[in-house]
Amino acid sequence: MMILKALALGELHGLGVSRRIEQITKGTFQVKPGSLFPALHRMEEEGWLESHWGESENNRRAKYYKLTGAGRRQLEAETKRWGRIALAITRTLEAS
Amino acid sequence: MKSLLRNLLHRQREERELDKEVRAHELLLADENIRAGMNPEQARRQARLELGGVEQVKEQVREIRAGHLLEMLGCDVHYAARMMRRSPAFATTAVLTLALGIGANTAVFSVVNAVLLRPLPYPDSDRLVQMWSTNPKANRWGMWTAYPRFEDWRRENTVFEEMATARTWLISIKGGDHPESLFGVITSSQIFQLLRVQPMLGRGFLPEEDQPGHDHVIILSYGLWQRRFGSDRDVIGRTVDVDQQSYTVIGVMPSDFRFPPELPASYRVDAWLPPAPDPSRNERVSNNYYTFARLKPGVTLAQAQAEMDAIHDGLAEKHPEDRELGVKVVGWRRQVGSEVRPALLILVGAISLVLLIACANVANLLLARGAMRQREAALRQALGAGRARLIRQFLTESLLLAVFGGAVGLLLAYQGVDLFIRLAPDIPRLNETTIDPHVLIFSVVLTLGTALIFGIAPALHGSSTDLQDSLKESGSRLTIGSTRAGARSVLVVAEMALALMLLAGAGLLVRSFMRVQQIDLGFNPRNLLTAFVMLPPSKYPEPRRQALFFHEVMDRIASLPGVECAGGADSAPMLTNDTGPVSIEGHPMEPEIQAERPKITPDYFRAMGIRLLRGRTFTWADSEGSLPVAIVNESAARQYWPDEDAMGKRVKLEDGSAPVWRQVIGIVGDVRQDSAVALARPEVYAPLLQVPVPYLALAVRTRAGPTALTVAVRQAVMAVDKDQPLSGIKTMEQVVEDSVAGRRFQMSLLAVFATIALGLAAIGIYGLMSYTVNQRTHEIGIRMALGAKRREILHLVMRHGMMLAIVGVALGTVGALLLTRSLSSMLYGVGANDPTTLLSVATLLIGVAALASYIPARRAMRVDPMVALRYE
Repeated sequence: MMILKALALGELHGLGVSRRIEQITKGTFQVKPGSLFPALHRMEEEGWLESHWGESENNRRAKYYKLTGAGRRQLEAETKRWGRIALAITRTLEAS
Repeated sequence: MKSLLRNLLHRQREERELDKEVRAHELLLADENIRAGMNPEQARRQARLELGGVEQVKEQVREIRAGHLLEMLGCDVHYAARMMRRSPAFATTAVLTLALGIGANTAVFSVVNAVLLRPLPYPDSDRLVQMWSTNPKANRWGMWTAYPRFEDWRRENTVFEEMATARTWLISIKGGDHPESLFGVITSSQIFQLLRVQPMLGRGFLPEEDQPGHDHVIILSYGLWQRRFGSDRDVIGRTVDVDQQSYTVIGVMPSDFRFPPELPASYRVDAWLPPAPDPSRNERVSNNYYTFARLKPGVTLAQAQAEMDAIHDGLAEKHPEDRELGVKVVGWRRQVGSEVRPALLILVGAISLVLLIACANVANLLLARGAMRQREAALRQALGAGRARLIRQFLTESLLLAVFGGAVGLLLAYQGVDLFIRLAPDIPRLNETTIDPHVLIFSVVLTLGTALIFGIAPALHGSSTDLQDSLKESGSRLTIGSTRAGARSVLVVAEMALALMLLAGAGLLVRSFMRVQQIDLGFNPRNLLTAFVMLPPSKYPEPRRQALFFHEVMDRIASLPGVECAGGADSAPMLTNDTGPVSIEGHPMEPEIQAERPKITPDYFRAMGIRLLRGRTFTWADSEGSLPVAIVNESAARQYWPDEDAMGKRVKLEDGSAPVWRQVIGIVGDVRQDSAVALARPEVYAPLLQVPVPYLALAVRTRAGPTALTVAVRQAVMAVDKDQPLSGIKTMEQVVEDSVAGRRFQMSLLAVFATIALGLAAIGIYGLMSYTVNQRTHEIGIRMALGAKRREILHLVMRHGMMLAIVGVALGTVGALLLTRSLSSMLYGVGANDPTTLLSVATLLIGVAALASYIPARRAMRVDPMVALRYE
């Protein structure tokens, strides 16, 4: 979900995704390549992401990922679900 | 799905993309680091650390891909196949060991499947039941009942769709160069509706054909139709001469029709005929039919039993003959093959043990290889393979071995089944044995299970390597890798234990068989020819003519050159029976004094070699007009007159013949009437001329090989009546041999299994010891350099091997003590825990183990310390 969210703001390459997530979460989450790439590939296979080769800021070829329509819908669905779960957990914690 | 296809079809492109992507990532990381102020060298190193290894990341991506499992399987199979190609000796040994195990198991299972598991060869056969007539008071359970009782059952019940009854009968048929004796089945008319089988030509029996006057019809078997009628389709309606009366052919059964299913496989029924009971006789006392029925849909066995019980209560009130009797409804399929069930199950158990030993052996081979492949496994791990991945790969290799083993095993099973059928004793439905889909499924499951059993330990061991230790070259030679050696020792001990159990079982059967061979049968089977003569009642209605016929036949046979003497009896050991009640004068009438009641010709005892202990034998002068006489055997004399002299006492045969008291004029030795192992029973012999019978088993004592006289004996019978056939011609030795054939087969098979087990266990211990010696070459070299004597080295290795063998034998002995109990029904003259047998097989196994460890031990002894140390 965090990867989808990171990509919602525009297309990024792999390192960009992990830097974006670090940035958004203020360093709470650091995504290692060992989990990043499998996740990206899985989501591409699910049809949530598209990829193409492009030039990076400093002229390196890199593979860029962007959200597809299905990816956006998935993000919405997961956001809602997460909202419900987070709410439920918060309530549970407050109840005591 | 699309990505699955893409992944599988364009793997190389995908792989290139992935590689480029991960490398690009690494470069981007490095760029970042440079921007952060590192020098390029430092930046690249830092980037690589952060990435955690290009190959590992790639492997992790691969694992989530669609079709990953399939691809990995392909990969694993590929690796595995390469491994097998690289070490053909290992692969061949493993595959052949497994093939032997799986093949033998498949063959045994296919026999069990045909004899015990497969439904009877009739439609909806699970509804078929047998009806037994029982005598609870006398504790007698058997399937035989009387024809009128069957008619009552059939008329009064509401739970069966149909009920029919049958018995076997020898008939003679005329024509050709000599009259032929046929194996017929007399059956009530409902049989074909009940079995839901139709004749191939013509029709089945009509209900009225059960009645006298309409009963001269016959249905031919396919075999008889082919052999005797040249497969002529116009045979229907033709008349044939059966027992010298004319019968009309009304049908021909299809070639695969078998009835009754209980008959041993080699028996071929030639014809089916209607019963036509004789209304003038009280048929209610002759229990010679066996009855079967088809349950109505929805009716359970218990319901049927309840109703039959009620019917029987009613019958007992009407018929005094039925008063002591009961009825029992039993599922038919369970009944067929029930006699061989324990023997077959023991074979299944024994052959499973062989497979387990084979598994242990292959596991051992794999473990030994695993040691050599430790570095390979470590390398794979370093390149990013997870433990699960390694286990999967090792298991795939095991699976591939098992699949090859299974395939070769199936081929062996095809051959094995043929061999089994050829060597096996005659048991019902054996000839139905085929490799059918059930057997195939069984062998596939067996193969997979086998792969798991022998593959799991090596896979776990092979995958749990310590990266650091394994990659380093040195250091591994001094120690043996204790867990691995431990696992292998456990396997060898298990093999020893299993082999001992099999050897113990086989040993007990061999000893039993030897005891059986030594039994005094009470007669002399050497140089004795036997055959049956059955006179058709239509041609010989008068008892006196029957007796005269046999008198003349005996005289003719006795005068043949090469014949010492000839006799005949309607009840002869291992050939025929006439068991029934007798009365003893002065004793209260007990209905259950049962004896064997042979009617014999004068020379019968001499021909058979039965000892006359007291008094005299019969002569032809003991005939109609003279004093009614009898001869009893020792058992009868002892049982009927425990404290008195049997000579001169009087007995009466309760067999429907003239009810006269017969004076005992002689006592003869006991014979083993039913089989070599069944105890002798009381016998009361009567002279044939006083109690004529239409049926005799001939016993012809010859001077030399009895088979040479077959033709002469047949001609002697035909010289008296040219239409009279002779059937079942066999030497008595063959008859005796047949009676122990099952025992011999069981023993041979178990002995073969045990020998295989012994061989496998020997290979197992040899393999482990060789391996250990190889591993310890360096250590042995040091020991020798330090002054150890060669003998001490020999002892060192031998001690290890012997320890394993002794532990295995000890465990196996415990197992054998528990398991051989299941053999006890098959033993004769030895206890299930016979100490002599156990001791000798234990000695044998330890001896073989000693030999198997001596060879590697000698090699260890010859180790040249210089070479061993330089080897490092």
